[in-house]
Amino acid sequence: MRALIELAAKAAVIVGTALFPVLASAGSPSDVPEPQGLWIGAMHGPTPKTLAGAAVVDLAAIEVLLAEQPLLLDVGPAVRKPADFPDDRPWLPTHRSIPSAIWMPGAGAAPLEAGREELFYRRVGELTLGDKTKPIVVFCRPECWGGWNAGKRLVTKGYTSVHWFPAGIEGWQDTHATTEVKPDRDWSAEPTR
Amino acid sequence: MKILPLALGVAVIGALLPAQPVVAADANAIDAERAARWKTVAEYIFGDRKIEPTETLIKLDAPERAPDAALMPVTLTMPEKHAIRSVYLVIDDNPSPFAAHVTFGPAADPGALQLRVRVDSYTNVHAVAETKDGRLFGTVAFVKASGGCSAPVEASDEEAMKGMGEMRMKFTGGAAPGKPVEATLMIRHPNFNGMQMNQLTRNYTPARYIDKLSVSHGDSKIFDLEADISLSTNPVITFSFVPDGNGPVKVVATDTKNGRWEQSFDTPLTTN
Repeated sequence: MRALIELAAKAAVIVGTALFPVLASAGSPSDVPEPQGLWIGAMHGPTPKTLAGAAVVDLAAIEVLLAEQPLLLDVGPAVRKPADFPDDRPWLPTHRSIPSAIWMPGAGAAPLEAGREELFYRRVGELTLGDKTKPIVVFCRPECWGGWNAGKRLVTKGYTSVHWFPAGIEGWQDTHATTEVKPDRDWSAEPTR
Repeated sequence: MKILPLALGVAVIGALLPAQPVVAADANAIDAERAARWKTVAEYIFGDRKIEPTETLIKLDAPERAPDAALMPVTLTMPEKHAIRSVYLVIDDNPSPFAAHVTFGPAADPGALQLRVRVDSYTNVHAVAETKDGRLFGTVAFVKASGGCSAPVEASDEEAMKGMGEMRMKFTGGAAPGKPVEATLMIRHPNFNGMQMNQLTRNYTPARYIDKLSVSHGDSKIFDLEADISLSTNPVITFSFVPDGNGPVKVVATDTKNGRWEQSFDTPLTTN
């Protein structure tokens, strides 16, 4: 029985993985190389297909992985209020994500300001209860280097079950509900930029 | 009979796989969350005015799935057009949910209006009609589009600002006095919303967008538009008016950096 479940799950992953390159290739260069370390260029743009030391996963793989209750880490940026936005208009930014995700806006930026990288590692350490083998899913939006960088940071720090979900919230919300999430309190206790 | 084993096999696998992921949120909770969001947004925009649901006074058509979230077309239809004073378009989950308020004048044919907007994430969109007796009626649609607010405008800000304020107008439909004519107004303007990052300099392009538009025919107003950062780059607005042969259609547009542009267009009637 269990073998059958695993087989079906694997089949779903394989089918999903086989479909994904077709979707990803639309309008984006297909051969972006992995940078040596963190990516320090513009955060928005085509990303590599790989992340050494981490698994690159699609929605089908995420659905399977959820059974293991991974740490879902959303590093998508917070929206920025335009400088001279009129006072008499409502400014009500909201961030919707995968239910139960922890949102650390801008945690994939590079370089991070002094102390922020340590804070990121500390928070992930707390959220995983110090278990470096706990599955972690990092994500953002499509063509977002933030998710890649966050995954890179975790791999570098010795986390062994890092999953990068490049399709991000867009890939999730297409077939699944999202909920409004607030920035992680400890992460946003100190200013992000 | 050959199909049976296969069908059975699929059914077995289907039964064994979790039908819903573990974190699948409760549908009612999601609905409640979206309703709460609308309540908050509506209070900001409409204060304590009551918004009654309607299926007849205003209809909202938006693609269920928009291929370009920075250019999502929205059509508002007001079948009982003579009862309508103004219409609001609200994009619930955009950081600035107020998208547009259009107040019709005596030369308008307020039966329909189309605009293009930016959508930041999958969201409810509300259209609210204000009737001439001051009541509000609303309708809602859910749209699947996202990323429209921070989508970069063009290669460079300078490129995007070329020809800023240039306008074109296209007329369709009959040209008999008293018969409505449909017009499409196109304005060249980057409509920077302040959330877009210049990919070269990595700075945020300062907000600069069209906030007011006044369109009249002769001495008679067609509509006034109050807009916000959700209108798309190079705004396009389709509206109808009733030509009476007196003069061109005049458009005055202003933006948030004191830009002001004015242009007149001959109607099919005035050229005849």
